[in-house]
Amino acid sequence: MDFPPICSGSRPKPRLSVIERAARALAFGAALALALPALGQVHPLSPDKAFLFSAKALDAQTVEARFTIADGYYLYRDKIHFAIDPASGALLTPALPAGKIKQDEFFGRVETYRGSVTVNLAVRNFTPGKPLIIHAESQGCADIGICYPPTTQTATVALPAGSVVPGATEPPKKTWFN
Amino acid sequence: MALRLRSRVAFGTAAVLALAAGIGLALFDRTPTDTTALLALSLPDSSGQPQPLAQWQGKVLVVNFWATWCAPCREEMPEFVRAQNEYGAKGLQIVGIAVDNGDKVQQFAKEIGLNYPALIGGFDAMDLSKDLGNSLVALPFTLVLDRQGKVAYTHLGPVKPDKFRSVITKLL
Repeated sequence: MDFPPICSGSRPKPRLSVIERAARALAFGAALALALPALGQVHPLSPDKAFLFSAKALDAQTVEARFTIADGYYLYRDKIHFAIDPASGALLTPALPAGKIKQDEFFGRVETYRGSVTVNLAVRNFTPGKPLIIHAESQGCADIGICYPPTTQTATVALPAGSVVPGATEPPKKTWFN
Repeated sequence: MALRLRSRVAFGTAAVLALAAGIGLALFDRTPTDTTALLALSLPDSSGQPQPLAQWQGKVLVVNFWATWCAPCREEMPEFVRAQNEYGAKGLQIVGIAVDNGDKVQQFAKEIGLNYPALIGGFDAMDLSKDLGNSLVALPFTLVLDRQGKVAYTHLGPVKPDKFRSVITKLL
């Protein structure tokens, strides 16, 4: 028996086919399953993302090395070391600037960096125009309560040919900041 | 009516299957259970004496990866000392694997009155933790193995004492 359409005051819901319903259910279930492990979990960054290292040539003898430190992470000043490849070249690392002083119960006074830190490395005995690999070792922690072992990151820079490039004659910049 | 019922069954089945598959995948991804390599490990203690981990099989074994240069690691260790005191007689064995040098470990162990073995592991030992759920190879990382040597719990970062105690007391 057919009934005349009744106006109920609300729009009738569109009917979903079995396939559409199954697809919706599948999407819902998958989303829920993916979300479950995330509940109550923290997802710390990998050290190369937390302490992103980059380097660029400022002139034929100077490389600016930089760590960009993610919010909530910090690096230890005395754990930062640089080396170059090929080892025939010489690298002069200036004294690292003072970091934020922290009193460590076991190690005493330690200095840390947050935000970002840059240093101008002086490169000697290196063939201009050839790629130079900078190895940067660092060690740091996250405020959520984890620490990373020392990590080495690398960056390749090409030093410009010639002894002086525009800008190199400018007065020395403040090389570190926090 | 039959169509409606069928569609409900399809909905339910699909949802349950998708959820199960997702959880299965997530668990597979997050909780590796093969502890063979870990239990085959023999590491020197802070006095240089080799200590095979297999000697503690049959106990509820808590393996804590730590270092003196990791402040959050040091901060949580008094909780492990308390737990070892309270549950040691019931079969709990906590073992620390320090990614560190022996002198520093010995010094810190003395400072806090460490009452469980502090073994010295290199970065190889840390890599082992990577296979057991510590994908970032960060510290502190804690593994709880049941008496059968299966992974019952893993945690990156300082353990929460309530959660930690509820995990171990269930296994003891």
